[in-house]
Amino acid sequence: MKLLNLNFLKDIVRELFSNKGNLFFMVLALVISLTALNTIYSLGESAKRQVLEALANLQFGKDALLIIAGGGRIIGLTTTRTDTLKLEDVEEIKRLSFVKLASSWSRGILEVSYQGEAEKLRVDGVDLNYSLANNWYTSSGRFFNQQDMESLAKVCVVGADLPKKFKIKNPIGEKIKIRGEYFEIIGVLEPKTFFGHFRADERVLIPFTTAQRRVFNKDYIDAVKLLFYPDTDMKMATQTIRQILRKRHNLYGVQPDDFRLITPEMSIQRFTEASRTINIFLLAISLISLIISGVIIMNLMYANIEEKAPIIALRIALGATSKILIKHYLTMCLLIALLSGVIGWFLSIILMQAISLFTPLKPLFSWVTFLISLAFATITCVVFGLIPALKATQIEPSILLKSL
Amino acid sequence: MVKKLVLLQNIVKTYQTGNIEHQVLKGINLEVKEGDFLAIMGVSGSGKTTLLNIIGLLDKPTSGTYIFDGQDVSKLNSKEIAFIRNKKIGFIFQAFHLIPWATTLENVLLPLLYRKEGFTKEDEKEAVKLLERLGLIDKIHAKPSELSGGQQQRVAIARALINKPKLLLADEPTGNLDTQSSSEVMKIFKELNQEGLTIILVTHDPEIAKNAKEIKIIVDGVFVEK
Repeated sequence: MKLLNLNFLKDIVRELFSNKGNLFFMVLALVISLTALNTIYSLGESAKRQVLEALANLQFGKDALLIIAGGGRIIGLTTTRTDTLKLEDVEEIKRLSFVKLASSWSRGILEVSYQGEAEKLRVDGVDLNYSLANNWYTSSGRFFNQQDMESLAKVCVVGADLPKKFKIKNPIGEKIKIRGEYFEIIGVLEPKTFFGHFRADERVLIPFTTAQRRVFNKDYIDAVKLLFYPDTDMKMATQTIRQILRKRHNLYGVQPDDFRLITPEMSIQRFTEASRTINIFLLAISLISLIISGVIIMNLMYANIEEKAPIIALRIALGATSKILIKHYLTMCLLIALLSGVIGWFLSIILMQAISLFTPLKPLFSWVTFLISLAFATITCVVFGLIPALKATQIEPSILLKSL
Repeated sequence: MVKKLVLLQNIVKTYQTGNIEHQVLKGINLEVKEGDFLAIMGVSGSGKTTLLNIIGLLDKPTSGTYIFDGQDVSKLNSKEIAFIRNKKIGFIFQAFHLIPWATTLENVLLPLLYRKEGFTKEDEKEAVKLLERLGLIDKIHAKPSELSGGQQQRVAIARALINKPKLLLADEPTGNLDTQSSSEVMKIFKELNQEGLTIILVTHDPEIAKNAKEIKIIVDGVFVEK
């Protein structure tokens, strides 16, 4: 028998479509798990890409370093005091030969309101280097200047989506209330969508000096972004800065750092680690659902074979060997896998489009995902279809003559 | 000398139901030569179906020797048996057993699907010729549900003949047919036998059995004299 005989395939397709109800449920079971698998995988990939894009977008190139106040894990609750990072620390670091630029800021989640509508938003007190350090400029209006800093001006620059949020038509010149005090909007930032509970495009920036003395009333800072000259040895730079900070903060021996140094590699690594954990978890769920659909397919296949026992007996009587019968039913399983794989993929594309309407995630199309899901479908169908196929070979052809 | 196609020697078939052994065939001896037309008659439970199953290689005897076309079939493996069923034996069943989703032509070509070489355009032409002879030329693309009982049985006959078998086994072939269709089918059988095809027919109807050249009666697992 040839490997792919068109007539043999035609016979299988006809048999497959002879019981449409059965076929529907077999495909449905698999389609649900494959759609989930595809969507989860693609959304994960999409999130990863967007975070990497966002990092690049934030001038977090390979020559950048972020110092965040408070020790502990890179992301998560701090395990030490957070009020030890001072402007004086930054001044000393700035004197290092490889440091090109430093931009300090302090931040808080504050109530921001406009015409009676209030929201808890992230408010950052930033210095004049902020735009340069983060590659983030105003699209309309202007950024802060020296005079704003010196006069502790009550002005603000807002994220691209903030005017929309408060339904402000012409934001420049409008006044919003931050913690009960009016601030004039002098500029709107370029859109820079990325993740986080408090989205960047809904952020409010105020002058660093105003933030420290009028809003937060504190003498420490929350973070510093450093840009280095090209070809700086990152390892050496990080090490030097760590030593300076430990010394200035009187940390010796086994005392933990009361700051965190975040390099681009670390942020990517952290993100990959986090997404790996989530991916493994989601993958496990998908695999369980695949196994469930496999069991459903196996049962429906069993029912199918029992129902078609006289036809299978006939095939045996007409000369079909066990090998041919197994090939027959495994090919049928492959067709189910192919059908489900294609439907599942299309559904996941539609689902991703829908998700992208409500979230910042962009839909991602990849042939790799398609092939992976097809491979999973095939494995499921073949593994769970093999038992019913073997059962088919056990059918006694003598049942055909039972009529007497 | 005419060749012996089927030679059964002391064939015994026992079925086990729990602890009870039930002997269905109790030492059957049978010789069928090429060109014979044998009718096996018997009442329900006499063992004629079991015998037909064994002759058609659909079942194995508990003991005894079965030589088919000069080969001792007890020495063959399942693949070789499948080959014989495919190439040398044509089956006709009381319930027709056509594949419901396949057309007349596809049903006729089904045995060729299980040959090593599959089937060609030539085989399709051959099938059309057979269907023409059996008066089904206008039903080539019809599904079994669109055919009458007599037509379905004629499709089954065409299917049994497509591989040019040496032996045609018919199990109560007219059991589900009206008188006219029955006589049509028996006429075809007679013609085929005249052309040299060996036929073994199982029936409980003496009128049908009369069409055969020879009649054997089975009672309680053994052949008896008329």
